[in-house]
Amino acid sequence: MFTSPDPDAHLMLRVKQGDAAAFEELVDKYKQPVMNFVYRTLPDATEAEDLAQHVFLQVFKSAHRYEAAAKFSTWLFTIARNLCLNEIRRRIRHPADSLDETYPDDDRPIRQPQETRNFSPPDSLLHAELEGKVEEALAALPEKQRTAILMCRGDEHSYEDIAKILGCSVSATKSLIHRGRETLKEKLKPYLRTGAWKA
Amino acid sequence: MNDSEFQDLLEESWRRPLTEEEQMQLNAWLATRPEARAAWEEDAALNRSLQNLPDAPLSSNFTALVMQAVQRQALPTPRTHSTVRLRLWWRRLSWGVACATVAISAVWVGLQQHHHNNELRAREVATGLAVLANVTTLSDPAVLSDFDAIQRLSLTSDDDEELYAVLNN
Repeated sequence: MFTSPDPDAHLMLRVKQGDAAAFEELVDKYKQPVMNFVYRTLPDATEAEDLAQHVFLQVFKSAHRYEAAAKFSTWLFTIARNLCLNEIRRRIRHPADSLDETYPDDDRPIRQPQETRNFSPPDSLLHAELEGKVEEALAALPEKQRTAILMCRGDEHSYEDIAKILGCSVSATKSLIHRGRETLKEKLKPYLRTGAWKA
Repeated sequence: MNDSEFQDLLEESWRRPLTEEEQMQLNAWLATRPEARAAWEEDAALNRSLQNLPDAPLSSNFTALVMQAVQRQALPTPRTHSTVRLRLWWRRLSWGVACATVAISAVWVGLQQHHHNNELRAREVATGLAVLANVTTLSDPAVLSDFDAIQRLSLTSDDDEELYAVLNN
């Protein structure tokens, strides 16, 4: 009898048996966390959402390989990270459209320059500016440091889980997070010292 | 609290807000180490900024789009799953049979070659024995001890015939 404390593992076992409702429940629960992660790897919202959909599609296609002993979210984010890495490698091998290219019907550039990215609702411009600085600093980190820091948010993953996602030891994971945070603190020092981040 | 416990608390703060008890322990620690307070507050500010990052934009019909894509892939039924397992099992069996066939063929060829070699060797031995059997009809070896006589055996001059007659006597 299956006795895992992870409720998502139970849902995933039902997915293995062909339960579509169980799969839909998992998608609803994890769509935002997965999108938050993918969005901070790929620079485009549309492409990030496409990739996030592929993550769940891959989860579904790999359902027969899911081992109940593994925590579902760890398995899910391992798939998400691998697909992001594949996409990054693909873009390196096949560089994306030129920044000068425009949509066929108007003059809008296909790719928005990074410094004009807006991550927040339009009615919160000050927060948008501050949050933009954090997003830029995160985007500039090496992939493993950025992934480790993003996985560390919100008490969703233990250090052991994050280590499994990254494929390294717990001590190496903490080291990655520490180095990434030091870099972020250095870049964001003016904002951190003025207390602009205090809610 | 010692340095190691402080480090553990710091690492926990990266993942989640500290509990009230943890915060009290931390404040007590920082009270004895004022030089560490500025660094801690910078760390805490970064924690807040990371925690407050907004959610990425997501389509309202995201789940529906995923389920549509899944429908196109076809839901995995237990029978389909069994078919996949059967196919995998058959593939493994075929591979095993192929390897066994290759191995048995190699052994059979090796045995055939060994038998053939043995036959050849036996024939060679038989031929050699036949040659030895014919050796008994040869002349007395003592005749061959006189080398000059041997050399002149093929000559046809009268002198040699005379010599030959002498030797035979």
